[in-house]
Amino acid sequence: MTLARVDYLIFALYFGFVLGIGWLLKKRVATSEDFLTSGRSVPVWITSLAFIAANMGAQEMIGMCASGAKYGIMTAHFYWVGAIPAMLFVGVFMMPFYYGSRARSVPEYLKLRFDEKTRTFNAVTFATMTVFSSGISMYALGLLFELVLGWSFASSVLLSAAIVLAYTYLGGLTSAIYNEVLQFFLIVLGFSPLAILAVAKAGGWEGMASRLPPVMTHSWKYMSNSAENPMGVEIFGLVAGLGFVLSFGYWCTDFLVVQRALAANSMSGARRTPLIAAFPKMFVPFFVIVPGIAAMALMKMGLGYNLPVKGDSYNYDLALTTLMAQFYPSGMLGVGLTALMASFMSGMAGNVTAFNTVWTYDIYQGHIRKGAPDSHYLRVGRITTVAGVALSVGAAFLVQFYNNLMDLLQLVFAFVNAPLFATFLLGMFWKRATGHGAFSGLLAGTGAAALTHGLTVAEGKGGWLGAVHQFPSTMAQNFWIAIFAWTTCFLVTILVSLLTRPRPVSELHNLVYGVTDMPPLGGARWYQRPGVLAVVVLVVCVILNIWFG
Amino acid sequence: MGDLRTPCGLFFTALGVILCALGVFFPGTRAPLTEANVNLYSGITMLVFGGVMLWLARRSA
Repeated sequence: MTLARVDYLIFALYFGFVLGIGWLLKKRVATSEDFLTSGRSVPVWITSLAFIAANMGAQEMIGMCASGAKYGIMTAHFYWVGAIPAMLFVGVFMMPFYYGSRARSVPEYLKLRFDEKTRTFNAVTFATMTVFSSGISMYALGLLFELVLGWSFASSVLLSAAIVLAYTYLGGLTSAIYNEVLQFFLIVLGFSPLAILAVAKAGGWEGMASRLPPVMTHSWKYMSNSAENPMGVEIFGLVAGLGFVLSFGYWCTDFLVVQRALAANSMSGARRTPLIAAFPKMFVPFFVIVPGIAAMALMKMGLGYNLPVKGDSYNYDLALTTLMAQFYPSGMLGVGLTALMASFMSGMAGNVTAFNTVWTYDIYQGHIRKGAPDSHYLRVGRITTVAGVALSVGAAFLVQFYNNLMDLLQLVFAFVNAPLFATFLLGMFWKRATGHGAFSGLLAGTGAAALTHGLTVAEGKGGWLGAVHQFPSTMAQNFWIAIFAWTTCFLVTILVSLLTRPRPVSELHNLVYGVTDMPPLGGARWYQRPGVLAVVVLVVCVILNIWFG
Repeated sequence: MGDLRTPCGLFFTALGVILCALGVFFPGTRAPLTEANVNLYSGITMLVFGGVMLWLARRSA
């Protein structure tokens, strides 16, 4: 596709605004906490939208549209079974401990609750992971823009990294969060016309359903047997693996998202952040997944629209951009591609701001230099921002040269992440859990994940220790790896905790359920109460599941 | 900058103006698969959104 001059003008306008917001927020940064944690001063509507925008990276947008084309409305399970319940849980049950402990990061909570080694394990793996995941998504963006627009890989990677660096360096977390809100609106307004146009052209939901196999337009009907649905998963693996272990592990313990809630200006704001975010999150499938399904229906209509072929199947990753080329004229096309760029930037800024906080507070202040004046840590935070972006760019080029590295890294991250939620669940709700218990649980859980992968095979992946079991798809394999890792971590943490000396209850104040002053709710209006919001979200989410079941 | 609504409002108003202008002065610019004047309708939506943001910012100032 070729862009007109007006499309470039829209790109430039967007770049001008994100840089301008960074520039205007520069004078708000006086201390390291202003820079790295927003000084806990951001209004709740802003933290809420940033909470979902930080997760809406370009890979998410492109990938969810691709999965829509490949699997159909079943992809919505990642939202309606995965994200929503976990977002409700973190807001209602976990935020009192995160926010109440005054920890500046998720690893720091582990230090307060357990010990230094548990914190360091989490901090180091998280920091490595954020650098590589922003590198990987930068790589995906560079590749896409090269393929679609003919821009050189290096220049789109360097340009987008430079802009993210500029605004996060200037205004720190506040700047990243404020821009994430702008980016969120742009993503919604830039992508939703595409959904409307594509669905209308394909004859509405009815028209799509009549042109596609029924498995594409039903999310639950074919889940009872893994052989009947293209994802190759069955209900237990889906609900326990994705809905419970993986989603709770991500939304409840990943500092990238939790950091947004911690920036809220009150306990009540921090708790409501994921709950308010859940409202728009529920409807994201309609403008990212549904266009992918519409693309498949359009291909059956003889309109001349076809997804490019890659190997022996379609190149689903191009669903989003090929649809834009078919439905957006110059002008709106610029907006659509800018929205894609915006989603990439919100994801990358999320990674960078989480990375610099964990590095500065959990690794540098924890191990390299303790007790320096705050101005020193502010400087370290700024330098880390530059280093984080540089490392991400390096990772993007590394992945470009060694394609297999990406698969390997994503596998290792999956091993490390899978057991995490068991550690936090026991840490927050069981006074008896000890540091030794948590640490050995995490190691054992990670080991169990690797072992499960080594002993099972799916689509030719895994089985490096011998094939004991065959999964119908890698997705099913991932869900079951998560289930085994979580269960191992849960059991080992309990066992080792019972064998080691507990911490005195007096040290656990504001860290564990039962010895924490739960925030009072008196006087709050109904729509400000976390419990009420959570119930409303849950009801709407159940209705969506039934409607598209 | 105390209020994010102002820059947000300005950005979407500017986008809306550009798209509406395209839609009005070049109504023949169409994408392959649609008959709709996409620029005009999207532009109006963005103008409305930007306007509401600016109005909210003014009201609370």
